[in-house]
Amino acid sequence: MPRIVGIDLGTTNSLVAIVENGTPRVIPGPDGSNLVPSVIYFGENGEVLVGNPAKAKLIEKPKNTIFSIKRFMGKGMTDVRNDLALLPFEVSAQSENILKLKIFGRDYTPPEISAFVLRELKRNAEAALGEDIVNAVITVPAYFNDAQRQATKDAGRIAGLDVLRIVNEPTAASLAYGLQEQRQGIVAVYDFGGGTFDVSILKLSEGIFEVLSTSGDTHLGGDDIDEQLMRLVMGESRTSPDPRDFPSIRKATNKAKEELSSAEETEITIPSLGYSRKLTRKEFDTLIEPIVERTLKSCRQALQDAGLKPDAVNEVVMVGGSTRIPIVRNRVQELFGRVPHTSLNPDEVVALGAAVQADILAGGKRDMLLLDVTPLSLGIETMGGVMSKIIPRNSTIPASASEMFTTFVEGQTNVKVHVLQGERELVQDCRSLAQFDLKDIPPMPAGLPRIEVKFLIDADGILSVSAQEQRTGKYQSVEVKPTYGLTDEEVERMILESFEYAEADIEAREVIEARNEAATVLIATEKGLKSEQFADLSAEEQNEITAAATHLQETVKIEDHRAIRDAIERLSQATQRLAEMIMNSAIQKALKNKRVKEVES
Amino acid sequence: MNYFEVFGLPKLLNIDLKTLERKFHELSRKYHPDYFTTAAPPERQQALQMTATLNDAYRTLRHPVQRVEYLVELEGFKADGSKVPKSFLMEVFEINEQIEEVKAGNATSEQIATLRREIEERAARFDSQLKAVSVEWDKLVESGASEIQLKPQLTKLTEILSESSYIRNLQRELEEKA
Repeated sequence: MPRIVGIDLGTTNSLVAIVENGTPRVIPGPDGSNLVPSVIYFGENGEVLVGNPAKAKLIEKPKNTIFSIKRFMGKGMTDVRNDLALLPFEVSAQSENILKLKIFGRDYTPPEISAFVLRELKRNAEAALGEDIVNAVITVPAYFNDAQRQATKDAGRIAGLDVLRIVNEPTAASLAYGLQEQRQGIVAVYDFGGGTFDVSILKLSEGIFEVLSTSGDTHLGGDDIDEQLMRLVMGESRTSPDPRDFPSIRKATNKAKEELSSAEETEITIPSLGYSRKLTRKEFDTLIEPIVERTLKSCRQALQDAGLKPDAVNEVVMVGGSTRIPIVRNRVQELFGRVPHTSLNPDEVVALGAAVQADILAGGKRDMLLLDVTPLSLGIETMGGVMSKIIPRNSTIPASASEMFTTFVEGQTNVKVHVLQGERELVQDCRSLAQFDLKDIPPMPAGLPRIEVKFLIDADGILSVSAQEQRTGKYQSVEVKPTYGLTDEEVERMILESFEYAEADIEAREVIEARNEAATVLIATEKGLKSEQFADLSAEEQNEITAAATHLQETVKIEDHRAIRDAIERLSQATQRLAEMIMNSAIQKALKNKRVKEVES
Repeated sequence: MNYFEVFGLPKLLNIDLKTLERKFHELSRKYHPDYFTTAAPPERQQALQMTATLNDAYRTLRHPVQRVEYLVELEGFKADGSKVPKSFLMEVFEINEQIEEVKAGNATSEQIATLRREIEERAARFDSQLKAVSVEWDKLVESGASEIQLKPQLTKLTEILSESSYIRNLQRELEEKA
C-alpha cells in the first residue's frame, strides 16, 4: 500500500502530516517550518511562489499575491461581494457561479489556486519521505456544503493527488486528541480558524468516534476579526485609504490582534496613513464580542441537536489559531462550565488527525473508526418553491434516501429535479446544489411512470444521484449540473493546464536557488575585496572582479536562472586566483601557528 | 433488506436503544468504507451501499416515532393524514387560528403559554396512545398472530401517526412564530 498523507488545507496556513510507527507527525518544508502559509504569489513571467516566499510579497505585490482563497471555494460572486471590498484582488467578469480571480489576464478558479498550495505540500512530503506521494486525505470545515467539499476534491485532483477522503476538521482534531489520551465520553470540539468556525459534539467509546451533531459558519474566523479591526482603523484614519493600503492595514491590525492574546494593550501604527492608536484588550474584546457570540450560538445549536445539556460534555477541545484569543477561551469555558483543553498545538492538531485518518484508510489502525455526519439537510424542490427534506442534518454518513417521481403530462419523457442543501423552508433560502433531468422516460399516461431517485451522501459528505424507472426497471440517465461547481471536463482541463505550472514551478525554484548561491558568492567576493591579497592582483584582474560582481548584482534581479548561473560562473573565474592566494596565506598562517604550538609542547 | 433485518431484529416496536447502539457499532466496524479503501471498486461500492443502509436503518429505528412510521409503511400503510376524523380537523383548525393571532402579535404571553400547554397535552396523549398500541402490536407478533389479526393494529397505528403529525406541525409553527 503506497503511503497516504494527511493534509490540512487551511485558510491561513496549510500542513501535511504522516503516521510513522503509529505516531502522527507534521512534515516540515525545506525552510524547516511546519506551517506553509496558504499564500500564492504569481509573478509577471509566469513564476509562482507558495508559502513564506509568497507571504513576503503581500505588501509589495498585493494584486497578484493571493491569500485566504479557501473562503471562495465553491462560491459565486454574490456570496463573496462583501469580502472582496477589503481585498485587493481583481475579479473576472465571468464569476457569477464560480468566482474567478484575474491574474495577468488569466482567470483562476479557487480550486486551481488552492492546488498550488497542495502541490507545495506534496513536494515537501516527497522530499522528506523520498518517494512519490499520490494518496491524500484532505480536511475541510465540518460545515462545508457539497460544493465546497467538491471544490476541495477538485483542487486535490488538479494538484495530482488522489483524494481518498475528505475529513471534517473538528473530527480530525478529535482523532489526534483521542489517540493521544485514549478518552471516552462526550467531547465538544470548538474549531475557530482563520476563515471558518465549526463545533462538533462527539461520543467516544472503545475506539469509535461518533459525531452526534455539528454546527458552524464557513464564513466566520480570524479574518473577520482582522476585518473588524481594519474597519475601525479606516473609520478613524484622517486620510481615506486606497485599496493599495489594505495589505499594510491588514498586517498592522493582525499584529495587534496577536499581541493582545498576551498583552493588555498594544499600538496600531500605519505610517503610510500617518495613523497610530493605542488599543486595549478591553476595547478589542468589546469589538469582537458579536463574533464570539455567533460561535456560542452555534455551540448551543449543536448541543440541542445532540439532545444534550452543556454539563453533559466531559471535555472541550480547542482547535484553530483564533482560540488563542483570551475572550474566546473564557466564553467557551463559561458555556460548557469546564476548562477547555489546549495541550495540543491548535495549528497542528487537524493535520495530525488527518494523518491518523489516512493511517486508518491505509489499514494501519483497525481499532479506530470515525462516524461523521452531514452538516446540512438535503432536500428537493417541490411545488410552490418549498424545500422538502429527504436527509436531515446530522445524519451519519454515508446516508441515503429514495424519492418517487412521476410525470404530469401524458407522454412526458423528462422530469426536472432540483437538489438543495439547507435548513430553511423555502427554496430561495437554501443553497442550490444541482439540477438534473430524468431523461428517456418511457412515454406513458401522466402519473403512471414511477421513477425512483436514490440520493447517496458518501463518507466525504458528497452527493451522488441514481435513478430507476420502476415499471421497466430501466436505469435512467442522470446528468447532474452542479450549480456552484466545476464540471468533470473543466477539472480535466485544469489538470492538463497545471502541467505547465509544474514546469514554471521548477523554473521559479531554480531562480531562487541560483539567487541564493549568487548571494553567497557575492558575500565571499566582498570579503575578498577587503583582503590584503586583493592589492597584489594586477589592475586588469581587479577590474574584472569588480565588473563581474556588478554584473551578477544586476543579473539576480531578473527571473532567469541560466543568466544568473552564467554571471556566477564569470565571477568565480575572475576571483579564482584571488581565492587561491587567500587560501594559501591562510594555510601558511595555520602552519605557522602549528609550529609555534609544537615548539611549546 | 429492511431496516429490522439489517439489525437482525424481529419486527417489534419496543427496541432497547443500548443494544441497538452496540449492534450499530459492531456492524459499522464490519462494513464501513474506511476499511475498504484498498479493495476493488465493486467491493468498495458494496461497502458504501451497505453502510448507507445501516446508517439509514439506525437513524430510523433509534427514533420512536420514525420507527412506527417505518413499520406501517413496510406493511403497506401510509400515515399521510388523509383519514383523520373531521372533529379532529376542526380542533386543529381552531388552534391554527390562535397561532395566527400569535403571529400577528395579538396574543399575550399568558395566552401563548396556555396555547403551548394545550398543544403539549395533545402531543403527550398521542405519545401514550402510540406506546400502548405499540405494546399491543409486539404482544400480537410474539404470539404468532396472523396478518388478519395484525391489520387492525396497523390501522390504529397509522391513525395515531396521522393525527400526531398535525399536532407536531402545530408545535413547530408555534415555536417559529412565538
